[in-house]
Amino acid sequence: MSSPNFSRRDFLAASGVVVAGTCVPDWAAAFQPSATDDARRAEVADTALAQAAKLGASYADIRINRYRRESIGTREQQVQNVSRSTSYGFGLRVLVNGAWGFAASNVVEPAMARTIAGQAVAIAKANAILATRRATLAAGDRVVTTWTSAFKKDPFEVPLETKIAFLLKLNQTALLPRVSFVTSQLQFADEQKYFASSEGSRIVQRLVRTYPQFATTATNRETGDFQTRAVVDRAKLVGYEYVEEYPWLGDAELAGHEVVEKLTSKPVEPGRYDIVVDPSQLFLAIHESTGHSTELDRALGYEANSAGTSFIRPTDAGKLRFGSNIVNMVGDRTQPTGLATTGYDDEGVKADRWHLVRDGMFVDWQTTRELAPLVGQSKSHGCLHCDSWSSVPFPRMPNVSLQPAEKEVSLDDLFADIKRGLYVVGRGVSSIDQQRYNFQFGGAVIREIRNGKLGAMVKDAAYQSRTPDFWASCDGIGGPSLYQLWGTAADGKGEPGQINQVSHGCPPARFRNITVLNTAS
Amino acid sequence: MLSRDEALKVCETVLDHARAAGAEDASVSLDNAVESHARFADNRITTSGRAEDLDITATVWIGRRRGAASVNDASAAALKQIANDAVQIARVSPVQREYVPTLGPLDYPADRGFAQSTAEPNLIARAKTLQGVLDACRSAKITGAGFHTARTSASATATANGNRRYFQSSRADLSVTARTADGTGSGYYSGDHFDLNRLDAQHIAKEAVNKAVMSRNPQPIEPGTYPVILEPQAVSDVLGFLTAAFDARTAEEGRSAFSAKDGKTRLGDTMFNERVNLYSDPMHAELPATPATNEGVPATQLSLVKGGVVENFTYSRYWAEEKKRQATPGPVNYILESTQAPVAMDAMIKDMKRGLLITRFWYVRLVDARTLVLTGLTRDGLWWIENGQIKNPVRNLRFNQSVLAMLAPGNVEAIGAPQRRAPYMVPPLRLSAFTFTSISDAI
Repeated sequence: MSSPNFSRRDFLAASGVVVAGTCVPDWAAAFQPSATDDARRAEVADTALAQAAKLGASYADIRINRYRRESIGTREQQVQNVSRSTSYGFGLRVLVNGAWGFAASNVVEPAMARTIAGQAVAIAKANAILATRRATLAAGDRVVTTWTSAFKKDPFEVPLETKIAFLLKLNQTALLPRVSFVTSQLQFADEQKYFASSEGSRIVQRLVRTYPQFATTATNRETGDFQTRAVVDRAKLVGYEYVEEYPWLGDAELAGHEVVEKLTSKPVEPGRYDIVVDPSQLFLAIHESTGHSTELDRALGYEANSAGTSFIRPTDAGKLRFGSNIVNMVGDRTQPTGLATTGYDDEGVKADRWHLVRDGMFVDWQTTRELAPLVGQSKSHGCLHCDSWSSVPFPRMPNVSLQPAEKEVSLDDLFADIKRGLYVVGRGVSSIDQQRYNFQFGGAVIREIRNGKLGAMVKDAAYQSRTPDFWASCDGIGGPSLYQLWGTAADGKGEPGQINQVSHGCPPARFRNITVLNTAS
Repeated sequence: MLSRDEALKVCETVLDHARAAGAEDASVSLDNAVESHARFADNRITTSGRAEDLDITATVWIGRRRGAASVNDASAAALKQIANDAVQIARVSPVQREYVPTLGPLDYPADRGFAQSTAEPNLIARAKTLQGVLDACRSAKITGAGFHTARTSASATATANGNRRYFQSSRADLSVTARTADGTGSGYYSGDHFDLNRLDAQHIAKEAVNKAVMSRNPQPIEPGTYPVILEPQAVSDVLGFLTAAFDARTAEEGRSAFSAKDGKTRLGDTMFNERVNLYSDPMHAELPATPATNEGVPATQLSLVKGGVVENFTYSRYWAEEKKRQATPGPVNYILESTQAPVAMDAMIKDMKRGLLITRFWYVRLVDARTLVLTGLTRDGLWWIENGQIKNPVRNLRFNQSVLAMLAPGNVEAIGAPQRRAPYMVPPLRLSAFTFTSISDAI
């Protein structure tokens, strides 16, 4: 086992002492909205919508979006990758004789807008022969407005060497003796969206996301063993202040200690345990078991060919017990710093907050303007989303969060009457079946709980359960001060596949008598 | 789509700008893709669309400092912009310790994986094809869902050291999930080909519907270790976790399933059944692949496993230089096949005393990188076989199984004829042991 030790001189050489404060002026300037840009987008939108109407569309909407992304990747004391990308284009959705058509192009010009309108309408008309029912939309408001996500520091205006220095310092902190490798990344996304509809809506939005992550590895070259401790899932809808204000170095040092401890920890004894799940892991259980099962399009069979359906049926709202009566799950696209937070969804519906599960009962769905009427609702909950101007918008998950207990409940309170349990922290394996019943989740760091106290680390553990049984076994939820927001920046759904970003808030929670496997045996 | 001349002209324009801005080395890549799809569920089309995009990436080095920028706009201003952006990034970046100079002129074989028929599918013809699929579902009282897609792309690269390459590729896919009206049965089948005309939609629909009908009212069995027959789809659902582990650097750094004690690796070990061959071949007739690796190394046949023996790991250009070896000319696809004549599926079933027949796996994830233990579930067709006969459908099961142990000496009983499931050619397999750990209620 060895770890690379390097001197301060090596560190400075690796990080490159250059002129401080150097930005990339062309990059920044290219992304400032200009009057010319606004006029062009309005012209393209008007042209596309008018042409679609002329060709027979009863409804049409268009997204003219610009994205820029920056990614910096490092390992140990070196930078492996710095890249920046921009993407600009438009996608038009049309409804003709109750059938949808969609076409998109990277050429944002009025002539192309007419061509694309023709393509989209032709697609809708060709497919209309297969229609067995017409798509209809719940009423939407005509909205003309702008919205920007909250951030203090635009990450794209922060000098590159500042970001590199942060990552290399983080690596240096994580590379404790016996830590063999560390990788770290910073990723930033800036979405500038322009939405227009044939109903007269015009919505301009800007969303900025910041995503630091890292992973440590410890190896034992004599035995051929190795372990990893990754800290991912911390992306948020915030600016660079997140990098400056959150104590990343403390997390990095802890991860270094943990990965070394993992290498010599004892294997878990399989069996039944009471488990307390930390927000850094529980968010994922919420995502998989609740976030996806309450997507109405999934329950209706629209995702049957890809990720599957749901154990919840379209008629189950208000009738199905989802979990114990202390379980409350809320869908929320207004939640500050949430990855799925927005001003308006991708068909112009205002961001909403609503209960999916109330007092343990399943009560409502994730909906769009097309889905809401199918469950007798007159308004959409605002879940339409596309990951790019070139992608067909369709229903995507909002932030879905487990509400904390009303009074303060501490981690010690949750541990208190556990004789033999496990405390699960961080992300491990994650797998669930196509109706969201049977799941198996691991963790990054798992410790025993013995007689109410945290004990030794164990390895090779995963917990396995069935969604309704799991949430029924929940008999303790942490209080408001333990509530944290974690999120995944890579939720996949749809055909063609699209990637969404979504957050889940929760405190730690306790689940009784859960099956735990030893995955190495 | 851009022709070879048009695509390379765009790349060379960016190269010129990069050099003018001070780049000492540079590589410019372009990808121009058109994708057309129709998605259906509940026996009707749900969404359908067409999208065209262009991705241009400039990577430059100044004093071994690297910068990269991408844009999706080929206007004169944009091409100059990304060259300047990449140069600016390089100027403020540290020295890239793993820099390898870009490639010079090289010869590449012609690409074989492009068919014009896939380029712009006729919308009426596609609707009629899907009409046939949905009719097959409706007449069997089945609810059909599925996805039809046709994608073509042109990719080009030009480097400051003189490398020029341009490849075209196409791919058409159809997958169908058929679910019974009583909600107790589900079947899935898929096919893909670079030539849309060779995608047999009726066959795919028929297989999916048949599996749905045959999977109704599944019976539970106890989780445990069973002999299994994996259909090609199921093999393709787990194979990627094995192929991803062949990276030489990870193995030699002591952190892969191919790492061994005392700092060694498993290269040369007989880790797999003696009949297992796993290799890459860009010229494969059914599964032609890009004639270059993603680093631009001309691709040739590359053996990863031969007769069960680990023959090669894959070396990037950088790691090859570190280890004084050649960069690996692949892999660009994966062909898993037997060293002997393939065994027919009927014969595999007939020779099975007891075990499970598996259509596919779902939500497969890596549990343990040291042993390549995976977890996931069966889906869309699982049957119990007894004394050579398919007896009854079985409720879905979750597995925890090492893909290494799955193909180990002593565990592989029969290997069938490979079928295309891009990027793989995968055979059906009969295996002695496969471990299931819990039952799923999911249909």
